[in-house]
Amino acid sequence: MRILVVGGGTGGTIVANNLARRLAPEIRARKAWITMLSASDQHMYQPGLLYVAFGQMMPDELYRDQRSLLESCIDFQVDPVDEFQLDQNKVKTKSGKTHDYDVLVIATGSRTMSQKIPGLEEGAETFYTEKGAVKMFKKLRNFEGGKISIVVGVPHKCPIAPVEVTFSLHDYFKARGIRDKVEIKYNYPINRIHSIENVARWAKPEFDRMGIKCETLFNVEEVDVENKVVKSMEGSEDHYDLLISIPEHHGMEVIEKNELGQDGWIPTNRHQLTMEGHENVYVVGDTTNLPVSKTGSAAHFEAEVIAENIASIVKIGTPVTEYDGKVYCFIEAGHDKATYAMFNYQNPPDLQSPNKSMHWFKMSYNKMYWTSVRGLL
Amino acid sequence: MTIEKETPPEVTVNASNLEGLAELGTIVAAAKDAMTDDMVSRLASAFSEGITLLDRLTRNDGLVHLLQELDRPENQHFLICLSNAFTAASRDIAIAPPAKGGVVGLCKLACKPGTQEGLRLVSLIGEHLSESMRELHRRGG
Repeated sequence: MRILVVGGGTGGTIVANNLARRLAPEIRARKAWITMLSASDQHMYQPGLLYVAFGQMMPDELYRDQRSLLESCIDFQVDPVDEFQLDQNKVKTKSGKTHDYDVLVIATGSRTMSQKIPGLEEGAETFYTEKGAVKMFKKLRNFEGGKISIVVGVPHKCPIAPVEVTFSLHDYFKARGIRDKVEIKYNYPINRIHSIENVARWAKPEFDRMGIKCETLFNVEEVDVENKVVKSMEGSEDHYDLLISIPEHHGMEVIEKNELGQDGWIPTNRHQLTMEGHENVYVVGDTTNLPVSKTGSAAHFEAEVIAENIASIVKIGTPVTEYDGKVYCFIEAGHDKATYAMFNYQNPPDLQSPNKSMHWFKMSYNKMYWTSVRGLL
Repeated sequence: MTIEKETPPEVTVNASNLEGLAELGTIVAAAKDAMTDDMVSRLASAFSEGITLLDRLTRNDGLVHLLQELDRPENQHFLICLSNAFTAASRDIAIAPPAKGGVVGLCKLACKPGTQEGLRLVSLIGEHLSESMRELHRRGG
Protein backbone atom coordinates (compact mmCIF):
# COMPACT_ATOMS: atom_id res chain seq x y z
CA MET A 1 0.00 0.00 0.00
CA ARG A 2 1.60 3.27 -1.12
CA ILE A 3 0.35 6.20 0.96
CA LEU A 4 1.15 9.65 -0.33
CA VAL A 5 0.68 12.73 1.86
CA VAL A 6 0.73 16.03 0.00
CA GLY A 7 1.50 18.91 2.36
CA GLY A 8 3.58 19.08 5.52
CA GLY A 9 1.48 21.35 7.75
CA THR A 10 -0.31 20.32 10.93
CA GLY A 11 -2.82 17.97 9.27
CA GLY A 12 -0.39 16.26 6.88
CA THR A 13 2.28 15.77 9.54
CA ILE A 14 -0.12 14.28 12.09
CA VAL A 15 -1.63 11.92 9.48
CA ALA A 16 1.83 10.74 8.38
CA ASN A 17 3.21 10.25 11.91
CA ASN A 18 0.05 8.61 13.22
CA LEU A 19 0.05 6.22 10.25
CA ALA A 20 3.73 5.43 10.73
CA ARG A 21 2.98 4.40 14.33
CA ARG A 22 -0.10 2.36 13.44
CA LEU A 23 1.48 0.68 10.41
CA ALA A 24 4.93 0.01 11.91
CA PRO A 25 4.74 -3.79 11.34
CA GLU A 26 3.51 -3.37 7.74
CA ILE A 27 6.23 -0.78 7.01
CA ARG A 28 8.92 -3.10 8.45
CA ALA A 29 7.58 -5.97 6.33
CA ARG A 30 7.64 -3.66 3.28
CA LYS A 31 3.89 -3.95 2.78
CA ALA A 32 3.24 -0.23 3.31
CA TRP A 33 5.14 2.91 2.35
CA ILE A 34 4.52 6.50 3.43
CA THR A 35 5.81 9.41 1.34
CA MET A 36 5.32 13.08 2.13
CA LEU A 37 5.70 15.82 -0.47
CA SER A 38 5.93 19.35 0.88
CA ALA A 39 6.70 22.84 -0.37
CA SER A 40 9.13 23.54 2.48
CA ASP A 41 11.68 21.79 4.68
CA GLN A 42 10.48 23.98 7.58
CA HIS A 43 7.34 23.54 9.70
CA MET A 44 5.74 26.64 11.13
CA TYR A 45 3.51 26.84 14.21
CA GLN A 46 1.05 29.34 12.72
CA PRO A 47 -0.95 30.20 15.88
CA GLY A 48 2.27 31.60 17.35
CA LEU A 49 2.17 34.49 14.87
CA LEU A 50 -0.39 36.31 17.05
CA TYR A 51 2.14 36.26 19.91
CA VAL A 52 4.87 37.55 17.57
CA ALA A 53 2.60 40.47 16.64
CA PHE A 54 2.47 41.45 20.33
CA GLY A 55 6.15 40.80 21.11
CA GLN A 56 5.35 37.75 23.26
CA MET A 57 7.22 35.26 21.07
CA MET A 58 10.19 35.53 18.73
CA PRO A 59 9.75 34.28 15.14
CA ASP A 60 12.46 31.61 15.45
CA GLU A 61 10.41 29.89 18.18
CA LEU A 62 7.78 29.08 15.56
CA TYR A 63 9.91 26.88 13.31
CA ARG A 64 11.26 23.32 13.34
CA ASP A 65 12.89 21.23 10.61
CA GLN A 66 10.07 19.22 9.10
CA ARG A 67 12.24 16.09 8.90
CA SER A 68 12.91 16.26 12.66
CA LEU A 69 9.15 16.04 13.30
CA LEU A 70 8.58 12.98 11.14
CA GLU A 71 8.97 9.30 12.00
CA SER A 72 12.16 8.00 10.40
CA CYS A 73 10.30 5.55 8.14
CA ILE A 74 8.51 8.38 6.30
CA ASP A 75 10.09 9.28 2.97
CA PHE A 76 10.06 13.10 3.08
CA GLN A 77 10.71 15.11 -0.08
CA VAL A 78 10.66 18.87 -0.58
CA ASP A 79 8.98 18.88 -3.96
CA PRO A 80 5.50 20.45 -4.11
CA VAL A 81 2.80 18.87 -6.24
CA ASP A 82 1.90 20.65 -9.44
CA GLU A 83 -0.60 18.25 -11.03
CA PHE A 84 -3.12 15.88 -9.48
CA GLN A 85 -4.05 13.01 -11.87
CA LEU A 86 -6.68 11.44 -9.61
CA ASP A 87 -8.15 9.15 -12.29
CA GLN A 88 -4.71 7.55 -12.71
CA ASN A 89 -3.74 7.59 -8.99
CA LYS A 90 -0.75 9.81 -9.76
CA VAL A 91 0.63 13.22 -8.91
CA LYS A 92 3.30 15.17 -10.73
CA THR A 93 5.62 17.46 -8.81
CA LYS A 94 7.29 20.77 -9.66
CA SER A 95 10.58 18.96 -10.31
CA GLY A 96 8.82 16.82 -12.94
CA LYS A 97 8.74 13.58 -10.91
CA THR A 98 5.64 11.40 -10.93
CA HIS A 99 4.45 9.62 -7.76
CA ASP A 100 1.96 6.74 -7.89
CA TYR A 101 -0.21 6.06 -4.87
CA ASP A 102 -2.90 3.73 -3.55
CA VAL A 103 -4.11 6.25 -0.97
CA LEU A 104 -3.67 10.01 -1.27
CA VAL A 105 -3.99 12.54 1.56
CA ILE A 106 -4.33 16.17 0.45
CA ALA A 107 -3.21 18.61 3.15
CA THR A 108 -2.10 21.64 1.19
CA GLY A 109 -3.61 24.28 3.52
CA SER A 110 -4.79 27.76 2.64
CA ARG A 111 -3.49 31.23 1.73
CA THR A 112 -4.60 34.75 2.59
CA MET A 113 -6.21 36.85 -0.12
CA SER A 114 -5.64 40.47 1.00
CA GLN A 115 -4.93 41.40 -2.62
CA LYS A 116 -8.62 40.87 -3.49
CA ILE A 117 -9.58 44.13 -1.78
CA PRO A 118 -8.11 47.34 -3.22
CA GLY A 119 -5.76 49.02 -0.75
CA LEU A 120 -5.99 46.33 1.94
CA GLU A 121 -2.55 44.82 1.39
CA GLU A 122 -0.79 48.20 1.45
CA GLY A 123 -2.98 49.85 4.08
CA ALA A 124 -3.53 47.20 6.74
CA GLU A 125 -1.35 45.36 9.23
CA THR A 126 -1.85 41.63 9.52
CA PHE A 127 -0.17 38.77 11.37
CA TYR A 128 -0.59 35.81 9.04
CA THR A 129 3.05 35.74 7.94
CA GLU A 130 6.26 36.11 9.94
CA LYS A 131 7.12 39.32 8.11
CA GLY A 132 3.62 40.73 8.66
CA ALA A 133 3.56 39.84 12.36
CA VAL A 134 6.96 41.49 13.03
CA LYS A 135 5.88 44.58 11.07
CA MET A 136 2.62 44.75 13.04
CA PHE A 137 4.50 44.55 16.34
CA LYS A 138 6.80 47.43 15.31
CA LYS A 139 3.76 49.52 14.33
CA LEU A 140 2.06 48.78 17.67
CA ARG A 141 5.23 49.58 19.57
CA ASN A 142 5.51 52.97 17.89
CA PHE A 143 1.80 53.76 18.26
CA GLU A 144 1.36 56.52 20.81
CA GLY A 145 -2.37 57.11 20.47
CA GLY A 146 -5.24 57.39 18.00
CA LYS A 147 -7.78 55.06 16.47
CA ILE A 148 -7.19 51.40 15.62
CA SER A 149 -9.74 49.72 13.37
CA ILE A 150 -10.06 45.98 12.97
CA VAL A 151 -11.61 44.58 9.80
CA VAL A 152 -12.48 40.96 9.03
CA GLY A 153 -12.68 39.12 5.70
CA VAL A 154 -14.95 36.13 4.98
CA PRO A 155 -14.04 33.30 5.23
CA HIS A 156 -10.94 33.67 7.40
CA LYS A 157 -8.48 31.36 9.12
CA CYS A 158 -9.25 30.62 12.78
CA PRO A 159 -12.65 32.14 13.59
CA ILE A 160 -11.50 33.22 17.05
CA ALA A 161 -8.66 35.42 15.71
CA PRO A 162 -10.69 38.69 15.45
CA VAL A 163 -11.75 38.65 19.11
CA GLU A 164 -8.32 37.46 20.28
CA VAL A 165 -6.48 40.27 18.53
CA THR A 166 -8.99 42.79 19.91
CA PHE A 167 -8.57 41.60 23.52
CA SER A 168 -4.80 41.55 23.05
CA LEU A 169 -4.80 45.15 21.74
CA HIS A 170 -6.71 46.28 24.83
CA ASP A 171 -4.25 44.57 27.20
CA TYR A 172 -1.19 45.66 25.22
CA PHE A 173 -2.02 49.36 25.43
CA LYS A 174 -3.21 48.99 29.02
CA ALA A 175 0.19 47.52 29.93
CA ARG A 176 1.89 50.44 28.17
CA GLY A 177 -0.25 52.86 30.18
CA ILE A 178 -1.79 54.57 27.12
CA ARG A 179 -5.10 52.69 26.79
CA ASP A 180 -6.97 55.96 27.39
CA LYS A 181 -5.27 57.47 24.32
CA VAL A 182 -6.21 54.54 22.04
CA GLU A 183 -9.65 54.03 20.53
CA ILE A 184 -10.30 50.45 19.40
CA LYS A 185 -13.02 49.84 16.82
CA TYR A 186 -14.08 46.31 15.89
CA ASN A 187 -15.82 45.85 12.53
CA TYR A 188 -17.44 42.49 11.77
CA PRO A 189 -19.09 41.32 8.53
CA ILE A 190 -22.31 39.74 9.89
CA ASN A 191 -25.07 41.14 12.11
CA ARG A 192 -23.49 40.12 15.43
CA ILE A 193 -19.92 40.37 16.66
CA HIS A 194 -18.97 36.76 16.00
CA SER A 195 -20.14 34.01 13.66
CA ILE A 196 -20.41 31.53 16.59
CA GLU A 197 -23.43 32.74 18.56
CA ASN A 198 -22.14 31.74 22.00
CA VAL A 199 -18.81 33.46 21.34
CA ALA A 200 -20.68 36.62 20.30
CA ARG A 201 -22.83 36.45 23.45
CA TRP A 202 -19.73 36.09 25.64
CA ALA A 203 -17.53 38.65 23.87
CA LYS A 204 -20.02 41.54 23.58
CA PRO A 205 -20.18 42.44 27.31
CA GLU A 206 -16.40 41.99 27.51
CA PHE A 207 -15.95 44.46 24.65
CA ASP A 208 -18.38 46.88 26.35
CA ARG A 209 -16.47 46.59 29.62
CA MET A 210 -13.18 47.32 27.83
CA GLY A 211 -14.62 50.29 25.95
CA ILE A 212 -14.22 48.66 22.53
CA LYS A 213 -16.58 50.05 19.91
CA CYS A 214 -18.27 47.62 17.52
CA GLU A 215 -19.85 47.89 14.10
CA THR A 216 -21.55 44.87 12.53
CA LEU A 217 -22.48 44.24 8.89
CA PHE A 218 -19.18 45.76 7.82
CA ASN A 219 -17.79 43.97 4.74
CA VAL A 220 -14.70 45.72 3.46
CA GLU A 221 -14.98 47.04 -0.09
CA GLU A 222 -11.81 49.09 -0.33
CA VAL A 223 -9.17 50.89 1.69
CA ASP A 224 -8.26 54.49 0.88
CA VAL A 225 -4.66 54.28 2.07
CA GLU A 226 -3.87 57.95 1.50
CA ASN A 227 -6.78 59.29 3.55
CA LYS A 228 -6.76 56.37 6.00
CA VAL A 229 -10.37 55.40 5.44
CA VAL A 230 -11.81 51.91 5.11
CA LYS A 231 -15.10 51.67 3.20
CA SER A 232 -17.67 48.91 3.57
CA MET A 233 -19.94 47.36 0.94
CA GLU A 234 -22.84 48.44 3.17
CA GLY A 235 -21.88 52.09 2.57
CA SER A 236 -20.25 53.07 5.86
CA GLU A 237 -16.78 54.54 6.26
CA ASP A 238 -14.32 54.14 9.10
CA HIS A 239 -11.41 56.54 9.61
CA TYR A 240 -8.35 54.98 11.26
CA ASP A 241 -4.80 55.71 12.33
CA LEU A 242 -3.84 52.04 12.28
CA LEU A 243 -5.78 49.36 10.40
CA ILE A 244 -5.56 45.69 11.36
CA SER A 245 -6.96 43.11 9.01
CA ILE A 246 -8.01 39.49 9.44
CA PRO A 247 -7.93 38.75 5.71
CA GLU A 248 -10.11 36.46 3.66
CA HIS A 249 -8.45 33.16 2.79
CA HIS A 250 -8.77 30.56 0.04
CA GLY A 251 -7.43 27.05 -0.47
CA MET A 252 -4.10 26.76 -2.26
CA GLU A 253 -3.67 27.77 -5.88
CA VAL A 254 -2.67 24.23 -6.95
CA ILE A 255 -6.13 22.99 -5.88
CA GLU A 256 -7.88 25.67 -7.93
CA LYS A 257 -5.56 25.13 -10.91
CA ASN A 258 -6.32 21.40 -10.92
CA GLU A 259 -10.05 22.14 -10.57
CA LEU A 260 -10.37 20.05 -7.41
CA GLY A 261 -12.59 22.60 -5.67
CA GLN A 262 -13.97 26.11 -5.90
CA ASP A 263 -11.72 28.73 -4.27
CA GLY A 264 -9.30 25.92 -3.43
CA TRP A 265 -11.67 24.12 -1.01
CA ILE A 266 -12.08 20.45 -1.87
CA PRO A 267 -15.60 18.99 -1.54
CA THR A 268 -15.16 16.55 1.35
CA ASN A 269 -17.38 13.92 2.94
CA ARG A 270 -18.05 15.40 6.39
CA HIS A 271 -17.73 12.09 8.26
CA GLN A 272 -15.32 9.94 6.20
CA LEU A 273 -13.16 12.94 5.16
CA THR A 274 -12.74 11.47 1.68
CA MET A 275 -12.92 13.68 -1.39
CA GLU A 276 -16.39 13.49 -2.93
CA GLY A 277 -16.24 10.91 -5.75
CA HIS A 278 -12.79 9.58 -4.79
CA GLU A 279 -12.77 6.96 -2.02
CA ASN A 280 -8.97 6.65 -1.91
CA VAL A 281 -8.40 10.41 -1.60
CA TYR A 282 -8.59 11.97 1.88
CA VAL A 283 -8.69 15.69 2.60
CA VAL A 284 -7.54 17.27 5.87
CA GLY A 285 -7.39 20.67 7.56
CA ASP A 286 -7.79 23.97 5.74
CA THR A 287 -8.05 22.14 2.38
CA THR A 288 -11.56 20.77 3.08
CA ASN A 289 -14.83 22.57 2.39
CA LEU A 290 -16.25 21.37 5.73
CA PRO A 291 -18.39 23.70 7.84
CA VAL A 292 -15.88 23.67 10.70
CA SER A 293 -13.18 26.12 11.76
CA LYS A 294 -10.01 26.28 9.68
CA THR A 295 -7.73 25.71 12.64
CA GLY A 296 -4.88 23.45 13.65
CA SER A 297 -7.24 21.86 16.15
CA ALA A 298 -9.76 20.83 13.47
CA ALA A 299 -6.88 19.54 11.32
CA HIS A 300 -5.61 17.55 14.30
CA PHE A 301 -8.92 15.78 15.03
CA GLU A 302 -9.52 15.15 11.32
CA ALA A 303 -5.99 13.76 10.92
CA GLU A 304 -6.52 11.25 13.73
CA VAL A 305 -9.68 9.93 12.05
CA ILE A 306 -8.00 9.73 8.64
CA ALA A 307 -4.96 7.88 10.00
CA GLU A 308 -7.10 5.43 11.96
CA ASN A 309 -9.22 4.68 8.91
CA ILE A 310 -6.33 4.29 6.45
CA ALA A 311 -4.56 1.98 8.93
CA SER A 312 -7.70 -0.11 9.42
CA ILE A 313 -8.18 -0.35 5.65
CA VAL A 314 -4.62 -1.68 5.38
CA LYS A 315 -5.16 -4.14 8.25
CA ILE A 316 -8.78 -5.32 7.88
CA GLY A 317 -9.94 -3.76 4.62
CA THR A 318 -12.50 -1.29 6.01
CA PRO A 319 -12.64 2.08 7.80
CA VAL A 320 -13.63 1.98 11.46
CA THR A 321 -14.42 5.51 12.58
CA GLU A 322 -15.97 8.83 11.56
CA TYR A 323 -15.24 12.52 12.13
CA ASP A 324 -17.89 14.22 14.28
CA GLY A 325 -16.79 17.78 13.53
CA LYS A 326 -14.85 18.16 16.77
CA VAL A 327 -12.91 21.39 17.25
CA TYR A 328 -11.20 22.64 20.42
CA CYS A 329 -10.17 26.29 20.31
CA PHE A 330 -8.23 28.19 22.93
CA ILE A 331 -9.42 31.79 23.19
CA GLU A 332 -6.89 34.26 24.55
CA ALA A 333 -8.96 36.92 26.32
CA GLY A 334 -6.03 39.30 26.70
CA HIS A 335 -2.47 38.82 27.85
CA ASP A 336 -3.07 36.88 31.06
CA LYS A 337 -6.32 35.00 30.80
CA ALA A 338 -7.98 32.65 28.37
CA THR A 339 -10.92 30.35 27.88
CA TYR A 340 -11.78 27.69 25.32
CA ALA A 341 -14.52 26.62 22.97
CA MET A 342 -15.21 22.99 22.16
CA PHE A 343 -17.84 22.06 19.63
CA ASN A 344 -18.79 19.60 16.90
CA TYR A 345 -21.38 19.22 14.15
CA GLN A 346 -24.14 18.67 16.73
CA ASN A 347 -23.20 20.78 19.74
CA PRO A 348 -22.34 24.49 19.81
CA PRO A 349 -19.59 25.67 22.16
CA ASP A 350 -20.38 26.53 25.76
CA LEU A 351 -17.85 29.12 26.92
CA GLN A 352 -16.53 29.34 30.48
CA SER A 353 -15.18 32.47 32.15
CA PRO A 354 -11.59 33.22 31.15
CA ASN A 355 -8.91 32.53 33.76
CA LYS A 356 -5.14 32.45 34.16
CA SER A 357 -4.91 28.64 34.26
CA MET A 358 -6.41 28.39 30.75
CA HIS A 359 -3.96 31.04 29.57
CA TRP A 360 -1.12 28.91 30.88
CA PHE A 361 -2.65 25.84 29.27
CA LYS A 362 -2.47 27.74 25.97
CA MET A 363 1.11 28.90 26.67
CA SER A 364 2.00 25.28 27.42
CA TYR A 365 0.30 24.08 24.27
CA ASN A 366 2.39 26.55 22.26
CA LYS A 367 5.40 24.45 23.30
CA MET A 368 3.69 21.06 23.34
CA TYR A 369 2.50 21.56 19.76
CA TRP A 370 5.68 19.83 18.63
CA THR A 371 4.75 16.76 20.65
CA SER A 372 1.30 16.95 19.15
CA VAL A 373 2.41 16.99 15.48
CA ARG A 374 4.76 14.11 16.18
CA GLY A 375 1.59 12.13 16.83
CA LEU A 376 2.08 11.77 20.58
CA LEU A 377 -0.62 14.01 22.05
CA MET B 1 -38.44 -9.65 51.29
CA THR B 2 -37.46 -6.35 52.78
CA ILE B 3 -34.79 -4.18 51.32
CA GLU B 4 -32.77 -2.30 53.84
CA LYS B 5 -32.30 1.28 52.94
CA GLU B 6 -28.64 2.10 52.51
CA THR B 7 -27.51 5.05 54.53
CA PRO B 8 -24.85 7.23 52.92
CA PRO B 9 -21.56 7.46 54.78
CA GLU B 10 -21.47 10.44 57.06
CA VAL B 11 -19.34 13.25 55.70
CA THR B 12 -17.81 15.30 58.40
CA VAL B 13 -16.17 18.60 57.72
CA ASN B 14 -14.19 19.74 60.67
CA ALA B 15 -11.99 22.74 61.24
CA SER B 16 -8.77 20.94 60.38
CA ASN B 17 -10.22 19.83 56.97
CA LEU B 18 -11.15 23.40 56.16
CA GLU B 19 -7.79 24.63 57.32
CA GLY B 20 -6.10 22.09 55.05
CA LEU B 21 -8.20 23.19 52.07
CA ALA B 22 -7.43 26.82 52.79
CA GLU B 23 -3.73 26.00 52.97
CA LEU B 24 -3.90 24.16 49.67
CA GLY B 25 -5.70 27.12 48.11
CA THR B 26 -3.01 29.47 49.43
CA ILE B 27 -0.27 27.28 47.98
CA VAL B 28 -1.97 27.17 44.55
CA ALA B 29 -2.51 30.94 44.61
CA ALA B 30 1.09 31.53 45.71
CA ALA B 31 2.39 29.24 42.93
CA LYS B 32 0.23 31.13 40.40
CA ASP B 33 1.60 34.46 41.62
CA ALA B 34 5.19 33.21 41.49
CA MET B 35 4.93 31.77 37.99
CA THR B 36 5.33 33.76 34.80
CA ASP B 37 4.39 32.99 31.20
CA ASP B 38 8.06 32.33 30.46
CA MET B 39 8.36 29.81 33.27
CA VAL B 40 5.25 27.99 32.09
CA SER B 41 6.60 27.96 28.52
CA ARG B 42 9.98 26.62 29.63
CA LEU B 43 8.40 23.88 31.74
CA ALA B 44 6.07 22.90 28.91
CA SER B 45 8.98 22.90 26.47
CA ALA B 46 11.04 20.61 28.73
CA PHE B 47 8.05 18.31 29.19
CA SER B 48 7.38 18.26 25.45
CA GLU B 49 10.99 17.42 24.54
CA GLY B 50 11.26 14.94 27.42
CA ILE B 51 8.18 13.02 26.42
CA THR B 52 9.31 12.97 22.78
CA LEU B 53 12.67 11.55 23.82
CA LEU B 54 11.02 8.98 26.07
CA ASP B 55 8.69 7.97 23.25
CA ARG B 56 11.59 7.51 20.83
CA LEU B 57 13.56 5.49 23.38
CA THR B 58 10.69 3.19 24.36
CA ARG B 59 9.74 2.43 20.75
CA ASN B 60 13.32 1.69 19.73
CA ASP B 61 13.65 -2.13 19.52
CA GLY B 62 17.42 -1.91 19.05
CA LEU B 63 17.82 0.10 22.23
CA VAL B 64 15.70 -2.32 24.23
CA HIS B 65 17.85 -5.20 22.94
CA LEU B 66 20.99 -3.25 23.82
CA LEU B 67 19.73 -2.70 27.37
CA GLN B 68 19.04 -6.43 27.71
CA GLU B 69 22.62 -7.13 26.59
CA LEU B 70 23.90 -4.61 29.11
CA ASP B 71 22.14 -6.56 31.86
CA ARG B 72 24.61 -9.43 31.38
CA PRO B 73 27.53 -9.18 33.85
CA GLU B 74 30.15 -10.18 31.25
CA ASN B 75 29.08 -7.27 29.01
CA GLN B 76 29.21 -4.86 31.94
CA HIS B 77 32.64 -6.24 32.80
CA PHE B 78 33.76 -5.83 29.19
CA LEU B 79 32.63 -2.19 29.11
CA ILE B 80 34.45 -1.49 32.38
CA CYS B 81 37.62 -3.11 30.96
CA LEU B 82 37.25 -1.10 27.75
CA SER B 83 36.87 2.09 29.72
CA ASN B 84 39.92 1.26 31.87
CA ALA B 85 41.93 0.40 28.76
CA PHE B 86 41.06 3.76 27.16
CA THR B 87 42.08 5.59 30.33
CA ALA B 88 45.41 3.75 30.55
CA ALA B 89 46.11 4.16 26.80
CA SER B 90 45.33 7.84 27.04
CA ARG B 91 47.87 8.23 29.88
CA ASP B 92 50.53 6.15 28.04
CA ILE B 93 50.14 8.07 24.80
CA ALA B 94 50.57 11.37 26.63
CA ILE B 95 54.06 10.45 27.82
CA ALA B 96 55.23 8.28 24.87
CA PRO B 97 57.58 9.99 22.38
CA PRO B 98 56.24 10.40 18.84
CA ALA B 99 56.73 7.28 16.66
CA LYS B 100 59.78 7.54 14.37
CA GLY B 101 58.25 5.45 11.62
CA GLY B 102 59.98 2.81 9.54
CA VAL B 103 59.94 -0.97 9.47
CA VAL B 104 62.33 -1.33 12.45
CA GLY B 105 59.95 0.52 14.76
CA LEU B 106 57.06 -1.57 13.52
CA CYS B 107 59.03 -4.81 14.12
CA LYS B 108 59.95 -3.68 17.65
CA LEU B 109 56.29 -2.97 18.41
CA ALA B 110 55.17 -6.26 16.90
CA CYS B 111 57.68 -8.14 19.06
CA LYS B 112 56.19 -6.85 22.31
CA PRO B 113 54.01 -9.49 24.03
CA GLY B 114 51.39 -6.85 24.87
CA THR B 115 50.98 -5.91 21.19
CA GLN B 116 50.64 -9.54 20.23
CA GLU B 117 47.99 -10.15 22.88
CA GLY B 118 46.17 -7.03 21.76
CA LEU B 119 46.18 -8.11 18.13
CA ARG B 120 44.94 -11.54 19.12
CA LEU B 121 42.05 -9.96 21.08
CA VAL B 122 41.13 -7.63 18.20
CA SER B 123 41.20 -10.49 15.71
CA LEU B 124 39.01 -12.65 17.96
CA ILE B 125 36.53 -9.79 18.41
CA GLY B 126 36.50 -9.28 14.63
CA GLU B 127 35.76 -12.96 14.08
CA HIS B 128 32.80 -12.98 16.48
CA LEU B 129 31.57 -9.57 15.28
CA SER B 130 31.40 -10.68 11.65
CA GLU B 131 29.55 -13.87 12.67
CA SER B 132 27.09 -11.84 14.75
CA MET B 133 26.50 -9.32 11.94
CA ARG B 134 25.88 -12.15 9.47
CA GLU B 135 23.30 -13.60 11.88
CA LEU B 136 21.66 -10.20 12.33
CA HIS B 137 21.24 -9.76 8.58
CA ARG B 138 19.95 -13.33 8.25
CA ARG B 139 17.17 -12.42 10.76
CA GLY B 140 16.30 -9.32 8.73
CA GLY B 141 17.72 -6.79 11.23
